[in-house]
Amino acid sequence: MEALKEKSERGAPEQVILGLVTKLTHHALWDALLAILPPVAAVLYCLLYLFLNLWISPVTTLVLGCAALAVGALAIARRYRPNIPSAHLAAHLIDDRAAAEDRFLTLATLQPSPTAAFLVSRLRAEAVGLHGHIAIKREFPYRIKRHVYASLLISLAAALLFQLLLPLAHSTLHPQPAHELLRELAQRMAQRPNLRETARSLHNLSAKLEDPKVPMQEQRNLAQEERKKIDEQQKKQTQKQDRDLLNQAAGTLQGIEQQSGGAERKKDQDSGAGGIQSNLPQQGQGEGKQSQGSGGDSKGELDAQLNNEMQRGKMAQGNPRESGAEKNPGDQSGGTSNQPDPNNAGKDQSKERPGKTEGSRDEGTGRGKVSAEIPQGTPPAERFYKPGEGGAQGIKGAGYVTVQLPEELAAEGKGGGQKRDSKGGKALSSQVPVSNVPLPKHVPDAPAEKQQMPLEYRGIIR
Amino acid sequence: MEPQKFQDTFKRIEAEIRKVIVGHDDAIRKVLIAFFAGGHVLLEGVPGLGKTLLVKAFSAAIGMSFKRIQFTPDLMPSDIVGTEVLAESGGRREFQFKKGPVFAHVVLADEINRATPKTQSAVLEAMEEKQVTVFGESHLLESPFMVMATQNPIELEGTYPLPEAQLDRFFFKLLVTSPTQVELREILKRTTGTESGETNRVLSGDGGQHINDMKQLLRQVLIAPPIEDYVVRLVHGTQPAAQNGSVAPASVRNYLRFGSSPRGAQSIILGAKGNALAEGRVHVSYEDVEKVLYPALRHRIILNFQAEAENVSADQIIAEVVKQVPRT
Repeated sequence: MEALKEKSERGAPEQVILGLVTKLTHHALWDALLAILPPVAAVLYCLLYLFLNLWISPVTTLVLGCAALAVGALAIARRYRPNIPSAHLAAHLIDDRAAAEDRFLTLATLQPSPTAAFLVSRLRAEAVGLHGHIAIKREFPYRIKRHVYASLLISLAAALLFQLLLPLAHSTLHPQPAHELLRELAQRMAQRPNLRETARSLHNLSAKLEDPKVPMQEQRNLAQEERKKIDEQQKKQTQKQDRDLLNQAAGTLQGIEQQSGGAERKKDQDSGAGGIQSNLPQQGQGEGKQSQGSGGDSKGELDAQLNNEMQRGKMAQGNPRESGAEKNPGDQSGGTSNQPDPNNAGKDQSKERPGKTEGSRDEGTGRGKVSAEIPQGTPPAERFYKPGEGGAQGIKGAGYVTVQLPEELAAEGKGGGQKRDSKGGKALSSQVPVSNVPLPKHVPDAPAEKQQMPLEYRGIIR
Repeated sequence: MEPQKFQDTFKRIEAEIRKVIVGHDDAIRKVLIAFFAGGHVLLEGVPGLGKTLLVKAFSAAIGMSFKRIQFTPDLMPSDIVGTEVLAESGGRREFQFKKGPVFAHVVLADEINRATPKTQSAVLEAMEEKQVTVFGESHLLESPFMVMATQNPIELEGTYPLPEAQLDRFFFKLLVTSPTQVELREILKRTTGTESGETNRVLSGDGGQHINDMKQLLRQVLIAPPIEDYVVRLVHGTQPAAQNGSVAPASVRNYLRFGSSPRGAQSIILGAKGNALAEGRVHVSYEDVEKVLYPALRHRIILNFQAEAENVSADQIIAEVVKQVPRT
């Protein structure tokens, strides 16, 4: 190129070649810029979008933006440098356009030789005559290359996709809290004259749901109650919009119930709550049919059987509340069983859970769907053999259940149960009968409402 | 010498040869280019196409001495280069060198493949060194000196194909083809009537000096380095074995035993320069290179057995190489 610059002072053909080299260099630069800038702009746009939505911090935005610009500059340089045209290429192009039969190529690349100076002079003269036939600006206009369009389109599509899909992905990954959904619904309902009362109620509920102090169970109960109200109101509504809003609210509440139920189950599983093994004798044949319960990471087994002590109310460590609290506090849904097992009851049962935890008081009201399994006849206390009644001590026709405990407790139950029993008088033992059988009133510290086993087990025991 | 003068002389010689030769324009031009480039030409064609006439007309046009050697199997080297004979001069008997027919400006080696290799090789030194050595004594040949050999490609019985070393010494190998209908009619008109063309001498006076000036000018013709690179790539492209990381075209790998020697590249460049001057230019273009590529390379690339079995010609291979090697 330097040689060409020196030569260009001597004659016009070399200047034409130099001019074309400069022009083609600019073309190459434009090509590189137009190809690389759209992706860089798309990346910057995405960063800005993230920043404006407060998903990334300003520092991160700045750092990533600078990095994108640096990478873009590097890519432009990498793309531009190989495309810088040589004098040889420019001369070749001029030869093609001017039909110069490689005269410009020879002039541009020839090493000066004193012996052939007259030939070079002649060649230059021939080239001067030819270069008048071509106008560099007209012959070599800048044309946008196809890859520039491709780059632009791909970048645009990427940016659009990012803008469309990111909120979707975000809402999927981080769903809107239920109380916020309820609040929004409440606001919308407040605008409807018929639903103002419901709106207020929903608003209050959302406030409670938001409050971390309110226990999950209570939240579920509240949601359930509210849903029932909404269901009833939905039946009364005639306007479609109102019905739709109520429908949405009901759906949201149902979701809350399921969510809180699921959260409790998860909590149980995390805390190692076991399943339940039922060892119920088949209709008095004296042989238990075992069903393997599973749940949680640890498994425990506790053979619970009713014995005479239980009948007498002498439960050394047999406080059902205490043992139940250690095993499956309030909920056994983590387990599975082949037997009619409430843990397999699924969502419907989880909805009914408040009824269960409230014990026998809710027995009649809170468990519509599983009521068939609940003994409706003789009160539980009367199912015990009374003193003087013939037969064995204990529950009439009683079976027993085996409660699967967390591994830790099971180990204690198997190995160290006796020891702990003797020391503290509190630890569980495999000897300790555990069941959901409601204890008689006279058994101290055993109020019926605090029994730990689900009431459905009474059906099994019977 | 001025390029214009070169072109004029060239055109006049061409025109004089065309007075007696109908058609074969390309062969005539290539013969002249080879002559001014200082090379020798191998003419190949079936009998009766005017090969010998072409050489005669050429020598007549340039006004240089011309000798014809009819190569036969019993031809001895001494029949070509000459020999020492015992001569008596002034009462003394002494050996004197009797020059052979090779001592001429233009030597026609007719049907060169009919002579034995021993005789053929006698021409080798003459062609390359422009001198012959007889009984330890070297004798310079005429300047300018050009050997124009002819060979018949069909009558191969009782012939001795030229060795590769000798073939390489020919600047061009020209294929003399059958005339077209129009050309044949013209040939009949010229040869069967009363009118007959006669070649006039173009160069008068010291023709040798004039030719040497023209040869000097030819070597000064400008050639751009990219075009030289192109020639190098083309010649490298004929090498069946990969060189410098380049991979030869499939046809070269499949059908060639050996590629062109550096002499091939030299012939291409000089031939291209001659072609440029003949066309009135003082610089070589890519087209010049491609015009002389075939005659410069076709006898320098050695086909293998498979190529001969499949009737693949050297020109086909060269065409493939030209297709594969980019100009820039």
